[in-house]
Amino acid sequence: MAEQKPKIILQTEGLPDQHSLKTYVEKVNGYTAARKVLGGMSREQVIEEVKQAGLRGRGGAGFLTGLKWSFVPKDITGPKYLICNNDESEPGTFKDRYLCITNPHQVIEGMIIAAYAIGANKGYIYTRWEYQEEIRYLENAIKEAYDAGLLGKNLFGSGFDFDLDHYTGAGAYICGEETGLISSLEGKKGQPKVKPPFPAVSGYLSRPTIVNNTETLANVPWIINNGAKAFRQFGTEKSPGTKLFSISGALNKPGVYEVPLGYPFASLLNIEAGGMQPGRTLKALIPGGASAPVLTPAECEGLTMDFEAMAQRNTMLGSGAVMVIDDRQSMAELLKVTIEFFAHESCGQCTPCREGTGWLNNIMDGIMDRSAKPDNIARLGSVARNMGGKTICALSDACAMPVMSYVQKFSGELQAYLAAGSGGHSK
Amino acid sequence: MSVFSESLKAKIESFLTRYETRRSAILPVLHAIQDETGWVSDAQIEELHHKYGLDRVHVKEVITFYDIYKDHPVRKYQIRYCKNLTCHMLGAQDAICKIKDRIKALDAQLGEDGPFSLEEFPCLGKCDGAPVMLINKERIEHATADKIDSILSKYAPLPK
Repeated sequence: MAEQKPKIILQTEGLPDQHSLKTYVEKVNGYTAARKVLGGMSREQVIEEVKQAGLRGRGGAGFLTGLKWSFVPKDITGPKYLICNNDESEPGTFKDRYLCITNPHQVIEGMIIAAYAIGANKGYIYTRWEYQEEIRYLENAIKEAYDAGLLGKNLFGSGFDFDLDHYTGAGAYICGEETGLISSLEGKKGQPKVKPPFPAVSGYLSRPTIVNNTETLANVPWIINNGAKAFRQFGTEKSPGTKLFSISGALNKPGVYEVPLGYPFASLLNIEAGGMQPGRTLKALIPGGASAPVLTPAECEGLTMDFEAMAQRNTMLGSGAVMVIDDRQSMAELLKVTIEFFAHESCGQCTPCREGTGWLNNIMDGIMDRSAKPDNIARLGSVARNMGGKTICALSDACAMPVMSYVQKFSGELQAYLAAGSGGHSK
Repeated sequence: MSVFSESLKAKIESFLTRYETRRSAILPVLHAIQDETGWVSDAQIEELHHKYGLDRVHVKEVITFYDIYKDHPVRKYQIRYCKNLTCHMLGAQDAICKIKDRIKALDAQLGEDGPFSLEEFPCLGKCDGAPVMLINKERIEHATADKIDSILSKYAPLPK
């Protein structure tokens, strides 16, 4: 029997016309939080409430949202910007996609509140090109909000103006990195920028800019309506609230599920996702997107879905992209897929990343066609170890971390694959 | 004489003033061009440069950086097949092989102007529908090898 699970983010899920303004307003008191904020809360009060709630960014890094907002200089004149990072490009992640078609207005309301808190009068939602259907939902929701006077000038009679536009990417993983996204929004190659200065001080067009993930923003209206204390009823001490998990693989019910942080992995797999498909067993788990180190079944024992439990196992919750690897899969093939992806997506600015991902890919090609020498498997690890912490953004690390975990935990299978092709070649 | 249609010109004009800087219009302008003409030609880039003030170097660097933009003619139906982890686990490679076979057979029959092209794509973000592909902008889920013939034949007749 599944326990009662709170809905903080997907409040309209399953209601008729779940994505519509009408449903959001009439069924779940939509836009009351924005009204409350603009009707009398100070910017500091809004930031403090979100800080107290302990909301952590849902895009992967888990940084404290309220703290991030507080980095925007208060006394500065001129434009500031709020950007919703809806690029969602980490392989295995599709939760923001689902949020956009289920409850887009909660994202927009979260943006109004966040914009007020940081003093931004202009916002963008940046969505990856691949999400054509979802872009239509978002553009429609923005139009509905404008038509109802929920976006634009003098919102709720407060004197606060907020304009929101949508911007479509063009197929680049790196634009999910916040400074890469900003470069893209400026009409440039999506290359990340050196930090500091951080975007909160110098971001879009060198103006103060906050970039928040879609799901992060959707938490904000609930926190304002119900308070930080209520939010902390769910989740763990250091990972409060609920989280959207995208769970995929050979499962009976792959999909997006909202559960409290700290939820048992076994329940997510067997209750929400309906368990593995008949005849298949768990071989390995990628708990937080392609860049998260892989876990063995033994490491999945007692695993809970929160930032701390993942860190204890030297992996990451990331964006909540849970990829379940079943017994029919070849770890050599999956490692090749992972490395090839990062080699393709490296933006090319930093040598350790551009060359490192390329070398890894070349070594892996040799393993796949069995021309590599046995010590090449260890060489994957040594190349990867030299790719971490040396670059402008985290893509290099994002490639190195899973590679090291495969080499450490599945070297026997990789050796066997290289020697005889007996590594569980799929199908 | 313009290389752009009247409706495309109107779209380009609207993007040029929609954002804080003209340069931010480059991505939306290129999307609009590709939606109408499929790819971006040198003649179009020159007109963007001379008539609309979008620097040709800036435009070309965007076209070459992003996967979606094409600087060469494209076929009528562009297939983008996701080859990332979950799609791989659920049969992407078999489906990709099947599509390649079909494209080869069609091209042999028709010459170089076959209706389909295939791009093995880094990720489409629809892992709960894996394996997944796009045909132009339409997303097709659970596109396993056994379904490829029935999917493709909705777009163009396949060789017997």
